[in-house]
Order: sequence, then structure tokens, then C-alpha cells
Amino acid sequence: MAPAYNIAMVCDFFFPQPGGIESHIYQLSTKLIDRGHKVIIITHAYEGRTGVRYLTNGLKVYHVPFMVIYRSATFPAVLSFFPIFRNIVLRERIDIVHGHASLSSLCHEAILHARTMGLRTVYTDHSLFGFADAASILANKLLKFSLSDVDHVICVSHTCKENTVLRASLDPLMVSVIPNAVVAENFKPLSGPATSSISAGAGGQSFGHHHGPPPARQLGPHDTITIVVISRLFYNKGTDLLTAAIPRILENHPNTRFIIAGSGPKSIDLEQMIEQNVLQDRVEMLGPIRHEEVRDVMVRGHIYLHPSLTEAFGTVIVEAASCGLYVVCTQVGGIPEVLPSHMTVFAKPEEDDLVAATGKAIAALRANKVRTELFHEQVKNMYSWTNVALRTERVYNGISGAISEAEFYSYDAASAVAAASWTANRGRSGVQSFALIDRLKRYYGCGIWAGKLFCLVVIVDYLLFLFLELWYPRDKIDICPDWPRKKVKQQQQQQRKES
Amino acid sequence: MAPPSGLHQSAIPSDFEAGPFPPLVRSSTVPASLQTHRADPSHLAPEDAFAPFSPPRRSGLFDVGGGNGSGNEMQRQRRVRRSKEDGSRSRSNRRKRFQKLLWVKQSYPDNYTDQATFLENLQRNPRVQPYDFWPLVADSTVIVQHVCSVIIFIVCFVGIFQERVSPVSVVGWGSCATFLGWLLWDFWVEQETQGAAVDGGGPIRRERSVSCGRRGYREREREPPPPRRQDSSHLGLPTPHNASTASFSSTSNLPSAASSSTNLLQDHSQQRSFAAAGSYVTTGNGNSTSNLLIPGHAHSRSVSSVHSVASQTSAARAGSVVETEEEFRHRTTQPPQGRGRAFLRLEAIKSAVLIYFTLLGLSPILKSLTRSTSSDSIWAMSFWLLAINIFFFDYSGSWGPGIHKFPVGALSTNAALMASTVLASRLPSTGQVFSLTLFSIEVFGLFPVFRRVARLRSWRYHVILTVLLVMGAGGGVGMVLGEQRGWRSWKNGLLGIVVGCLISALAMGGCSWWLIGLQKYKNEIYGPWDPARPIIISRRHWDE
Repeated sequence: MAPAYNIAMVCDFFFPQPGGIESHIYQLSTKLIDRGHKVIIITHAYEGRTGVRYLTNGLKVYHVPFMVIYRSATFPAVLSFFPIFRNIVLRERIDIVHGHASLSSLCHEAILHARTMGLRTVYTDHSLFGFADAASILANKLLKFSLSDVDHVICVSHTCKENTVLRASLDPLMVSVIPNAVVAENFKPLSGPATSSISAGAGGQSFGHHHGPPPARQLGPHDTITIVVISRLFYNKGTDLLTAAIPRILENHPNTRFIIAGSGPKSIDLEQMIEQNVLQDRVEMLGPIRHEEVRDVMVRGHIYLHPSLTEAFGTVIVEAASCGLYVVCTQVGGIPEVLPSHMTVFAKPEEDDLVAATGKAIAALRANKVRTELFHEQVKNMYSWTNVALRTERVYNGISGAISEAEFYSYDAASAVAAASWTANRGRSGVQSFALIDRLKRYYGCGIWAGKLFCLVVIVDYLLFLFLELWYPRDKIDICPDWPRKKVKQQQQQQRKES
Repeated sequence: MAPPSGLHQSAIPSDFEAGPFPPLVRSSTVPASLQTHRADPSHLAPEDAFAPFSPPRRSGLFDVGGGNGSGNEMQRQRRVRRSKEDGSRSRSNRRKRFQKLLWVKQSYPDNYTDQATFLENLQRNPRVQPYDFWPLVADSTVIVQHVCSVIIFIVCFVGIFQERVSPVSVVGWGSCATFLGWLLWDFWVEQETQGAAVDGGGPIRRERSVSCGRRGYREREREPPPPRRQDSSHLGLPTPHNASTASFSSTSNLPSAASSSTNLLQDHSQQRSFAAAGSYVTTGNGNSTSNLLIPGHAHSRSVSSVHSVASQTSAARAGSVVETEEEFRHRTTQPPQGRGRAFLRLEAIKSAVLIYFTLLGLSPILKSLTRSTSSDSIWAMSFWLLAINIFFFDYSGSWGPGIHKFPVGALSTNAALMASTVLASRLPSTGQVFSLTLFSIEVFGLFPVFRRVARLRSWRYHVILTVLLVMGAGGGVGMVLGEQRGWRSWKNGLLGIVVGCLISALAMGGCSWWLIGLQKYKNEIYGPWDPARPIIISRRHWDE
């Protein structure tokens, strides 16, 4: 069947730094290892983390010494990464280089060098960018540069795909949408489903309801409804909206209270609001919490309020729904795609609408119309990292020719004629040609001046590659022994056949 | 080989299917005709995402059904093929419509791009206001005015330098014009005050935005003059004028020090409240030369008086600035208007005389300021400084606080004064140096204030002023460029006027037309990925 690949994940952001991208890379890597691939991670050196490290499951992490300039992103020195990158890639016999995050310069450099070395490249975009301000224009130009010559791009939501396609002028067909996922086991609601999910894990999902549905949490008309907010308190997370909405929500609904976790520059506004409206007993501010504690905070509430102004995917609302919370969120970015409508109440990013939506959610909960106790199982079926790894594997298959081009790009026989001319450009089986002249053609289209500049950079990169081949020949580089690969694949296929 | 649809075959709970999503208009199987796709110009079609070169564009996918019959034929074949594929599996496994959702397990590959929904929320140029030609031309007169006044200054310098014009006549005419301008200003102020008195003597209400409207202007006038207050509270101090004189002397002495005094000028405009208003009163009433100096002066005085008042009443007041202002206003409303006006006039004349004599005293020092520097450096330097003046000049025409975070106006004025200082240091005699420096203060310090007031006052004055300036600049350039002297130079001047008017008209019209023409390249893209702009209503309830 599909071959096993040697994959290098490259990103500036990785553990020990906490965050969404970091855990995405880690989870995806471990699940890919479970599927029999070999995965290494290349990141920059963090304080106390240098050299080569092994994580669970034989996941190897290279901490490359690099200067960090801003929010743990490395200095974009375009060519200086090449020697050590080449060395790692050759040692580990890498086939596919998979970069993450548009603000990580390490990722973009790795994609450029990997193409020079003739490797397949994939890029995953985790964030949304606008087109208006100067910083975005510059960032988009650089993204266009590095994505001019990439084999495939993965985005975490359809909105993110549209954004990336526009930003980097990509063919929409070479952009896949593969969402994030959650580790549902880490986000269980308090009671009921705990037992049923274990039995589901043992006896298959269809038997999850063997014990009957978990008991519904009945809310009396006078029970206190707790609204949880967990977010960094920044402008783009909508903290201003939250600050404006909280007093009105609490005024309209007597038996409600808020729990707010997170820190940031806007927390002062929140505290001021609490003091001015004398809401100390109804709004609890927990301050910054660690990711492990998120679930423990979430299960204390009934409603999760997410007032963000921009969001590519919004993992946190999936986590909240997995914890059995009813989600009230603003309808921005990729959020409307993430959860089904029976789990969410959408609001426009306006104060009035947010208050109204929260009121609707409270009323629905009080009327016991929402079966929040079922959310966990449903979310577990929707999002899993195994599924993400499966779909990412299909991307790898597509770009390395294991899946035929026609199938990967869902060609039909009829359009094959039209595609013939196109294939000439792409080289064999749906894969872009590595010939320098073809690569230069792609970079040249980046802009009147930028195109020429990028071509220059690519040529210098190629010369550097030739120099490195002479100076440090391939046969002088040791091949490192692989961690024993897993054989889980066949079991899984058998399972699939059975189901 | 894992077929893509096979990945997503796991049963979808019926719970999920019943979402209230509006049915999509088209599915991918319906041939997408190009016409309907282009019906809404504000929506991008997917093919717009392609760059012409990279990555290689594939035709045939999106151009299917592009008008000719072959497209439909292809589409039919595709459908046939697809149904064959599906036929191998169960009949119920028909392709569902593509939904732009992540939680649904769809029978489409991950890189499927749905033509109906892809980029459907994209907006192009939703908030663009088209420019009109004549308003643009009208707005450009402000720039023309300033450029012309700079040109006139240069012409005067060249005239003095080549000893064609007597420096005394330059500064004499300039001062006369300034004095006339001041009289006019004073007259307008008088009118406004009377108009305000007729309007009604309600309690003075200060608007937060002291923008260029007439009302703001009137309020400024209604404001009682602060210096009165200052003199009573600061009687014990050595005369504040000494301090101001000192600061001014440094202004003319070292170019860098010029920034200090003009920064004061700028500072007071940033002071939002009465202090700014008071200093504006002074600015208006001040004679030509005093204007530059007095505003900062008045400002500092009024601020100090605020402090004194605040300290006096600190027990009662909670330290709120607004309340202090209130207090201050109550106290200063006591001196009658007429007396305050006369006092201000006197003050202005006094300052003018002071500046006059200070400059006179400093001129010998200025003369030898840059003796060790070559003339070429001075020309280059003054060119750049005047360019800075033109580019950073505050053309906004509004008097509000907090318009610019960066004080561009101060930079501009400083650059001009420095240019005039270095230019003046090229002149051979003390009288010439004195004249040019005084003239530069009039042109760069006071004239912009007058121009701004005239523009706010009446559009007709503004146009007349513009025409006069253009003619003056054109004529001056013509006379300076011509070699001849005597009546021939007047002929050259006439020619210069004609050419200047032509050039300025062409430039104004041409640039406006050009700007309008450039609008077609405007391509702002908005979509769901942009950060939303929160609409918060109750903010003002607790923000203030």
C-alpha cells in the first residue's frame, strides 16, 4: 500500500513553549508515527532545550541554535540555515519537509532549501491575515515567495484556505483543508460520559449508547448558570466586547455568574468594569492558567462564551463543546465552520447581539432544550488526531506520487486533455518539477521587482547547495539509525474493513 | 491506496445532518456558467486567485462550460463517469452537496474547491468613496498656497542676495502686509465676538472637538483672555517676557534651538482646553512678529495659572483637570471683553517690538554663523529643509487637538526657520540678515495662521489669496530668472505670472485627474478573515 515516509516537521514554535501550533505539531507527529512513518521535528533552541532530544513515541526533535528576535520567531537570515538543515535532512533521509505557521521564518527557509535539494514540501497555515496594513502586505509577499514553490498547502479551515489562496496566489486545488483536532480524552465533562467513553473505547463507538444516553443535566429555573471565558485578554480576542457585555448579561439574568481565565493587557479593563459595577461576587477572574487546567475550569460552567474578533479555527470552542458546554461565539473567521449549530449560538461581533445571543443560550439551557451531555461523544466523533493524520497522509501520498495525479486532484477523464498541457509544467505524476529553470519561472511571477529579487535568492541558494555538495559531500554524512517503526497500520486497515 | 471518499464513509449521525443550513444554490455537478459567476462583480471567482505565472494554472477545471457546447459535453461525461464510480458502491452513497463545514465528514477530498461557495464572502472595495474632480482641485489650493509662499521667500532671498532688491523694502512690505493681515484678523475676531453675543449669552459650553467649524472658532473667541489672569497671579515673578526673549534669541541664534520655541507653539495646540484657546486669541491679536512667540508664552502662563488654581483649590477639587478648567474659566470671565482685547493688542505690539530688537541684536552673530561652511552645502541644506517644510506642513486646516500623533507642524516650521537662518548667514551685511530672518518669521510663522483663518472664514478670500500668491510667485521667479534690470524685468515678471498661473492650473488639474485615474487600481479585499470591528455601544457609559 502507501509507502512510509520520512517526514521533517519544521517550525519555530515547539515545546517547551505552550500553544496551539505546538500541540498541533506534536499530536500530528505522534499520530503519523503511529501510522508507521518516521517523523522528526526541527525547531530552534530554547533555553534549556538544545541539541537533539527524543520525545514519547520515538519522536526526535532537533533544536537548531538560532537567534530569536520576536516572540520566539528566529531571525530571517535566508541562507544561514541551509548547511545544518542539509545535514539533518541527509542524516535522517527525509523525503518530505512539512513547515508550519506563517510567522515562522525557519519554516519558510526550510521549504526553500528543501525544494533546492529536491524534496517534497508541505506547508500548514494556522492563521489569518488581512490585506490592508503594511505589515500584512510585507508578510503576504514573503508568504508568496516561499509558497511559490511548494507542493501542497494545508489550511485549518475553509476561511483560512480562502485567505491563504488569496495571499499567496495559489491554485485552490493544491490547498487542502484539514482541521485541527482535540484530544477528547483530555476534555471530558464532569460526570456521566466518563464511564460511557471508556466503554466506547473498548467496545466500539456504536456501543457507547449501550448504557443508555448519559443522564441529562437538569437545570432548575433558579439554578445558577456559570458562563466560562478562557482566552488571552487581547484586543483581537474581543475582550472589549466582553467587557461591555458582561454587566448587561448579568443585569438581564439574575442567576448567572462568570468565570474568566486568562491574562493580557485588557485585563485591567475587565477589572475596572467589575469594580465600577460592583460585580465582584458574580465575576471570578482566575488569571493565567495552564493548558492542563483548562478542562478543570471549563467543567465548572454551563456556557462557554467566545467573543473573539478573528480566529482561523478556534480549537478552544471545540474543547469547550467536548467538555459539555453550550458555546456562544462570534461569527468571525473560521468559527462558523467548526461546530454544528445545535452546540452553538452565533452572534455578530456587536455588543447588543452578543448580549442577545447569551440570553438565548441561557434561556435554552433553562428550558433544558440543549442536551449538552451528548456533546462529548459527538465532538469525539467529529475531531480526532488520528483522522487528521490520515488525511495528512493522503496529502503526502498525493505529492509523492503514490496517489495518481488524477485522483489526488480529482481529475476526470474529460478534463485530462486540458490537463495535459499543465502536466508538462508539473513534471511527473502531479508533482512540480525540480528543474531550476522551472522553479525560477514560478518565483518570477511574484511581482515586478520582488520576482527578480526572489529569483536571485533562489539562484544563490542553489549555488550554496552546489558548494555544500562539494565541501561536505553526501557520503561523508552519517546515516542515523531509525527508531523502530510501528506496525499498527495493518491493524487499523483491518479495523476499517470490519467497520 | 486509500480512496478519498473512503476516508469519510463513516456514518454521520443523523443528529448532524439536521443542521439548519440554507441549501446551497448549486452543487458542483451543475455546470457553472461563467455568466452567472460574473454576475456579481463584488465576488471573486476562483480563477481570480491565480497569479499569471505561478503556480501553473490549469485550465479546464474552472472554465468548464465557458459558453461553448464542449464544456457541457465534458460535464456530462464527468457526470457519467462519476455515476459509474458511485455505482460500484452502494446507491445510497451518492455525493452529498459540499458544505463549507469542518465537523461534517464529507465525501469530498480535502483539496476539493467548491465553485459555488469558494470565496463567496469576498468583497472588493466595499468602502471606497470615489473622488470628484472639482473638490479635489479646490483642496489642492492649500498646497499651492504653501508652495507659492515658499517660492516667494526664495525669490526674496535671491533678490537680496543678488542685491536687486533692497532688504529694507522686502521686510517693509512684508511687515505692512502682516500688519494689514493682523488688522483684518482682528476685525474678523470682533465680528465673531459680536455675532456670538447676539447668538445668546448662555453658559459657555466647550465642545470636545475644536475642529475647524465656525462654532469652534467662535468659542475660541468667547474665551476670556488668559494673560490677564496670569499677570495677576504671577506678579511676583520677573517679567515673563524676559524668558520669552531669551528663548527667542536662542531661536534665531542656533537653528536647533528654534525647535524649542516652535515646539511650544505646537505644544499649545495639543493642549486641548482653554489654554489652547487663550493662546489662539493671543495669536490672532498679536502683531506680526509677536505671534510666533506669544502662543507658547501664553500657553505656559495659562498652564502655570491652572496649576496655581489647582493648588489653591486642591482641597476641594479631586484633582480632575476638567474641574480645574471650570474653576479657571469662572475666575477669568471677570475681566470685561473690551479691556481684555485692548490689553491683548498692547501685548502683541510689545512682543513685536521685543522680537524686532532681539533680531536686530542677533543679526551680527547670525551673519558669521556659517562662514566656515561652503555655499554649496548651504544651498543643498536649505533645499532639503524647505522640502521638509513643504512635505510635512500641516495642510489639514483644522485646529483640533490630537489630529497628529507626531507633531508634523512643528517639524515643518522648524525646518523652514532653520533654512532661513542658514540662508541668512550667507548674506554679507547685518541689515540683510536681519531683514531676511524677520521676513522668514512672517512667512513661515504667521502667514500660515492667517491663511488658515482666511480659509475658514470665507472661500472667496481663500481663492483670492491663492491667485495672488500664484501670481506673486510666478512674477517673482520671472523677474529673478531674467537677467535684465529696469522695465525689461517687469516684462519678465509679467511673463512669469502667466507661466506661473498656467503651471499651477495644469498641476492642480493634472494631479487631481491623475489621482482620480489611479483609483481604478484600487483593490481592497475584505473577507471573513479580516478581524471584525466590534460595535460597542455602552462603552461611553463607563469609559468617561
